[in-house]
Amino acid sequence: MRILLGLYLALALCACGGSQRQAPATDAPDAAVAWPTPVGAVGLQRDQRRSDGPLLDVGIAIFDPGIPDDASTHSKLGIFPEIRRVEAQYMPVRLRETLVESNAWGPVRVLPEPNDTTVLLITGRIEYSDGLRLVLALKAVDVTGRVWLDRVYQDQSREADYPVPLGGDPYQHLYNQFANDLLAARNALAPQVLRRIPAVAKLRYAESLSPEAFAGFLATDEQGLLTAVRLPADEDPMMARVQRIQNQEYLFIDTVDEQYLQLSQEMGPTYDLWRQYGREQAIYKEDYQRRLAARDSQGRRGTFPAMQQTYNAFKWTKIQQQDLHELAVGFDNEVAPTVLEASGKVFRLNGTLDNQYAQWRDILKQIFALETGLPGS
Amino acid sequence: MVFPRFILLSVITLALALLGACGGGEQVRKAQPIPVGKVDMVDFSGSWEMDYSKSDNIQARLNSMVRELQRQAERRAQRGGNERGAGTIAVGNSNTGATVIGLAQMADMITQSPLLEIEQSDNDIRVKREENFALTCEFFDDKQMVLENPLGTETCGWVGHQLLFRILLPEGLSIQHVLTRSPTGEQMSIATTVVSDRVTTPFTLNRVYRRFEPGSSGYTCEVTLSKGRVCTTEAQ
Repeated sequence: MRILLGLYLALALCACGGSQRQAPATDAPDAAVAWPTPVGAVGLQRDQRRSDGPLLDVGIAIFDPGIPDDASTHSKLGIFPEIRRVEAQYMPVRLRETLVESNAWGPVRVLPEPNDTTVLLITGRIEYSDGLRLVLALKAVDVTGRVWLDRVYQDQSREADYPVPLGGDPYQHLYNQFANDLLAARNALAPQVLRRIPAVAKLRYAESLSPEAFAGFLATDEQGLLTAVRLPADEDPMMARVQRIQNQEYLFIDTVDEQYLQLSQEMGPTYDLWRQYGREQAIYKEDYQRRLAARDSQGRRGTFPAMQQTYNAFKWTKIQQQDLHELAVGFDNEVAPTVLEASGKVFRLNGTLDNQYAQWRDILKQIFALETGLPGS
Repeated sequence: MVFPRFILLSVITLALALLGACGGGEQVRKAQPIPVGKVDMVDFSGSWEMDYSKSDNIQARLNSMVRELQRQAERRAQRGGNERGAGTIAVGNSNTGATVIGLAQMADMITQSPLLEIEQSDNDIRVKREENFALTCEFFDDKQMVLENPLGTETCGWVGHQLLFRILLPEGLSIQHVLTRSPTGEQMSIATTVVSDRVTTPFTLNRVYRRFEPGSSGYTCEVTLSKGRVCTTEAQ
């Protein structure tokens, strides 16, 4: 009889048992499994051998913000599109400063859009970004088509990274790692290979202005890389014009570049606060879920104390998420006028800047065509 | 915690119920899709205050639920040919005094916000509730929004001119809010249904809100990160 009663109770407990879900140990996004390990503490290597080869010009295109087209996924992925778009402009400036500090390169410019005539072009995509971790996919390709680097970098911030000191960045180690890798990639190339790259860039630019006049100077080798098969004379007046037009383009880019720098300096303190709050919230959420998984129920299932406990756990998570949303709005309230102000003064920094860049290049091509009497590209 | 008198009375009523065989079982813990038909989006935006005179009386709702549970018990007894069980509303661990009263208390607690501030655009809605989290929903191509986290699953979407929010929580608890606006736009009701796998009947509480214009303060405020809440006396 006792056995039967025991069996009955066991069956009854199974039938009436709960279905409480287990909280995961961490709040890391699903894509985290595909990311590399964080870069850790990385110092910046400075180039000590500047005379060995030419100082290559570097262009860093504004990053792809990595915002999915399907807007219905943004909330789930924790993406605040406005912040991502600003980050896509801010991070290239941080990377530019790091590359300049490495003392290994010629002019390093932030470009409104990728330009295939750039000596060494860096493009990037923001895979993930919050106050706790940053994941960037970065690629460096020179004008000949040689891929120097194509890697995904992850960095995690530490408590000591906040508050962010003036001029600092919680993810500076990531930028340092990339700069070191880029330097290593450059050092792996023979000096004569490096010396050929600027010449190809110049011809590539000339070809973009007038394909007809500069046809036959460049060819693709067996590796699929662009090479100069012949070079114009040093005093070639056509090349002098090309150089003058290119200087005009640099003037535009440098003006735009100053705008990016100004934006970066103005939004920096606010952005650092946003990331600090984001980190605190992410850590709080992870701790809270751990505590929750280990808690004891306050009452029998279905009773008011038990239901209240369940509801409140959800409620505080939602309030935490909504606080972050409010912060994002607060961030927008401060950054938006800066963007508009910059827009009002000289250029539009959102979207239309790349159009203006394209328009400017078209104008330069027309000037070149008028001066030379050659058809433009 | 101090229980209102009606709850104590109900507890006494329910305490008379006898325990029966376990028949409640586990409810399916999967988000049920919201049936999407013809969407007729309604503008809920604005400030709303609760109209207590038109909102449900929780005691009346509780009595109604107890009567329903008694009817269920009678049907159960008739099916089983057990005359003695006719007055029994408890079914195993379900429908006990604590679980029935608990459901009513939950509905009362969840719907207490006297003031609502609703922001709505073509793509989303944010129902800010005093002393509670905001109900939020994004509308994209008439798809229902589903948000999951370890502590619960939210589903929302339009059903005709009504806006539905469903929250599926652990331990057999789920909550549904249905927002309906009056044709004049001056009133709105939120019907909140709380379901527990320990009570065989859901508990629904209807709260009615009326629109009000918040007094003009002569200043506007916005949240900023570095300066916190910043208010200016600029014209709105």
